[in-house]
Amino acid sequence: MYALEVKNLTKKFDSLVAVDHASFEVPEGSIFGLIGRNGAGKTTTIRMMMGIYMPDEGEVNLRGVKVGQEFKNRVGYLPEERGLYKKMKVQDTLYYFAELKGKTGRDVHKKANEYLKRFELYDRRLSKVEDLSKGNQQKLQFIATVLHDPDFVILDEPFSGLDPVNTNLLKDIILEMKERGKVIIFSTHLMDFAEKLCDHLAMIDHGKIILKGKLSEIKAKYAQKNVSLTYEGDISFLKGHPIIEKIENYGNTTGIRVKEPEQAQALLKMLVDRGIVIKKFDANDISLQEIFIELAGTEGNGFKEVKNA
Amino acid sequence: MLNNRILAVFKREVKERVISKGFIFMTILLPVFMFGIIGIQVLLMKEGSTKYNIIIISESQELTKKLENEFKNTDAVKDSTLRPSFDTMSQEDFKNFLRSKKQEILDEKITGVFYIPNSALKDKKVEYYSKTPQNRRLSELLNRPINKVLIDTYFSNRALSIEELNFARQGIDVTGFKVSKDEGFAEAGYGSLILTYLFTFLLYMSLLMMGQMIMQSVIEEKSSRIVEVILSSVSSKELMIGKILGSGVTGLLQMAIWLSPVIMVASTTWFVLPPEVSISLSTFQIVYFLLNFFLGLVIFLGLFATVGAIFDNPQDAQSGLWPVMLLIIIPFFIAFSMIENPNSVIAKISSFVPFANIIVMPARMTIAEVPVWELLTSLVISVLTLLAIFPLAGKIYRIGILRTGKKPKWSEVIKWLKYKY
Repeated sequence: MYALEVKNLTKKFDSLVAVDHASFEVPEGSIFGLIGRNGAGKTTTIRMMMGIYMPDEGEVNLRGVKVGQEFKNRVGYLPEERGLYKKMKVQDTLYYFAELKGKTGRDVHKKANEYLKRFELYDRRLSKVEDLSKGNQQKLQFIATVLHDPDFVILDEPFSGLDPVNTNLLKDIILEMKERGKVIIFSTHLMDFAEKLCDHLAMIDHGKIILKGKLSEIKAKYAQKNVSLTYEGDISFLKGHPIIEKIENYGNTTGIRVKEPEQAQALLKMLVDRGIVIKKFDANDISLQEIFIELAGTEGNGFKEVKNA
Repeated sequence: MLNNRILAVFKREVKERVISKGFIFMTILLPVFMFGIIGIQVLLMKEGSTKYNIIIISESQELTKKLENEFKNTDAVKDSTLRPSFDTMSQEDFKNFLRSKKQEILDEKITGVFYIPNSALKDKKVEYYSKTPQNRRLSELLNRPINKVLIDTYFSNRALSIEELNFARQGIDVTGFKVSKDEGFAEAGYGSLILTYLFTFLLYMSLLMMGQMIMQSVIEEKSSRIVEVILSSVSSKELMIGKILGSGVTGLLQMAIWLSPVIMVASTTWFVLPPEVSISLSTFQIVYFLLNFFLGLVIFLGLFATVGAIFDNPQDAQSGLWPVMLLIIIPFFIAFSMIENPNSVIAKISSFVPFANIIVMPARMTIAEVPVWELLTSLVISVLTLLAIFPLAGKIYRIGILRTGKKPKWSEVIKWLKYKY
C-alpha cells in the first residue's frame, strides 16, 4: 500500500486550471520529488494535499483513508515562502508550532533544546526572532517543521533562498528523516537536487502529471536509447540518419537518441568510421533535466504563468 | 467547537495583546485622559479665564444708577470677571459714542456695549454691540441683573408686595425628573448624560482599537507568510475563531478595567458625588452592557480581520476599511445626538438595526427607560448578525489570507464568495 495517494486532484482559479487531474502515489519510506517549472502547479498541489486549498475535484488518501486533521497533525510542512512571528521569542515560537500540532509539555521542551543545541541556536533561545540573522531564522523554521516528530515532511521548494550551509543542513535533516522511516515529499524546479535526493518522483507541467514513478526505473527507461556524447568534429551527417531519432545539444555534451536500444553500437561504429574524435561515449545515461525537457519542451515553450493564489 | 488548536491560537493572541505596549498604554491612559478632559472643562468653566470689559449705557440717570448698584452685588463683578462701566446717554449721543469706540470693540479691548433705552421699560428690548454677540456665558452674567433692574423700575410705581415682586423677578427654574417604572420619580442629574457619553465613547474606542489591532495582526501573518505554516496545522476557521476570541477576551478585560471606577462609584459609597452628577447603574445594566459589548466586539473583530485578510499591506487595508468604519461612526453620532433628543425616532429605530444597535442601545438605556424585552431583542439581533456574517467573513478570510500581490477590487472579493475553497 502507498503511504499517500493523490487521486485526480484538480484546481481552477477563475478560468485558469492550475492543477489538472493530477494523480500520483508516494510509497512508504520514500523521498518523493514533485518536479516542475515555476508555475507548473507544484505549490497548488501541495496546498491541496495539506488541506489548505479545497480541491475542485479529486482527493488525497493517507494509507487508504481520506486525509484530514489527523494527517495535518502528522505532517511537518515547510512552505516556499517562509515566515515567523517577528516579535516572538525563539523558544516560544517552537513551543507554539508544536502546540498547534497537539504536542506540549516537557518532552517537546527537551527536544526543542536538543535541536537548538545541534543547530547552534541554544544561546539565542530567548532572543526575539527578528533579532536573528536570516540564516538562523531559516534554521529555526526547519526545527519548527520537524520538532513534533512528524511521519510526513512536506517541503515546498525547500532549497530556494538557502545559503550553502543551510542547504547542506536541510539535506542532512531530510536524509536523517528518511533513515527513521519517515516519508519526505518535496517540490523543486532544480532537477539536480531532485536527481540526487529523491527515489520516487512525479513531473508536473501545466498542471498535468507528465511522468511519475521510481527514479531508477524512469532513468533506465529513458536512458535505454540515449547516448551522452562528448566529441570533436562534425556530426551533422547524423541528422536525418535512419537509426537516429533526435539530437539535442546541451553545450558540453550532446544527447543522441537512437530508434532501437541495440543501435547504440552501430552509432559508435559510425562515429569512429567518420573519424570523429570521441572523448566520452556514455550509452544508457540520461539526466533528469534531459528527460524533463524532452517531455515538457524547453523553457518558454508554451509556458504560462500560473499564479499561486 | 473549541479544541486544542483554537486554544493554542487563543492563548498566543491574548498573550501578545495583553503584554503589548499599546494595550497597557491605552488601558491606563484612556481613563486618565477622560478624567483629564472633564477636569480641564470644569477648570475652564470655573476660571472663566477671560475678563469682560462691558460698557452699560442707559437713557436715564435713574436707570444707570440702579444698574450700577445691581451689578456691584453680582459675583461676577466681585471676582472681577466682569468689569462694567456705566454711563447715561441719549440715543443720538450713543450712536456717536459707539462710532468712536468701534476700533476698541474690534480690538476686543471692549468686550461689548449695552444700550438700554427708556423704551425697554415697556418692551424689555435692549441692544448689545460686540464683536462676538453670541457669547453665552456673558449673557448668563448680564441678563439677570439687567432684567431685575427693569422689573424693579417697572413695578416701583405700582403697589406690590415684596413677595409679588420677588416672584416677578425670578426666572423659571427647571428641575428634571426621570420617569421610570420603579421607585417613583428620581431626580435626574447629569449622571445619566455622563454615562451616555462614557458608554458611547468607550464602545467606540474599544471597537476601533481592538479592530485595528486584529487587522494589523492578520496583515502581519499574511505578509510575513507565516499564515501558510499555521494553516498546515489548523484550519482557517480555527485560526480565525482563535484570533477573534483572543482579541475579544482581551477587549472585554480592558473594558472591565475601564468601567471599574464607574462601577465602584455607582455601587459603593466610597465616593460621594453631588446629586446632580450622581450615577445610577444597576447590575443588570452593567451585565447587559458587557454582554452587548462582547457580542459587538466579536462581530466587528470578524469584520476587521476580514478586511485585513483582503489586503496585504496596512495602507491598502486602511483605505479599504471605510465600510466597517461607517458601521461604527454613524451609530456613534446617532448615540451622541440622543443626548440632545433622547426620544429621537432614528435613535429608537437604529437601536434595533444590526451593527448600529451595539453602540446605540447602551446609550439609549442610560438616557431613557428602555423595557427589558427591547434590550434582549437587541442582543438577539446581535447574535443573528453574528451568525449571518461569519460564514461570509470566514470565506473571504480563508481566500484572502493566501492571496498576495495585486490589490483586489471589491467585485473580486464578492466573487471569492462563490469559490470552492
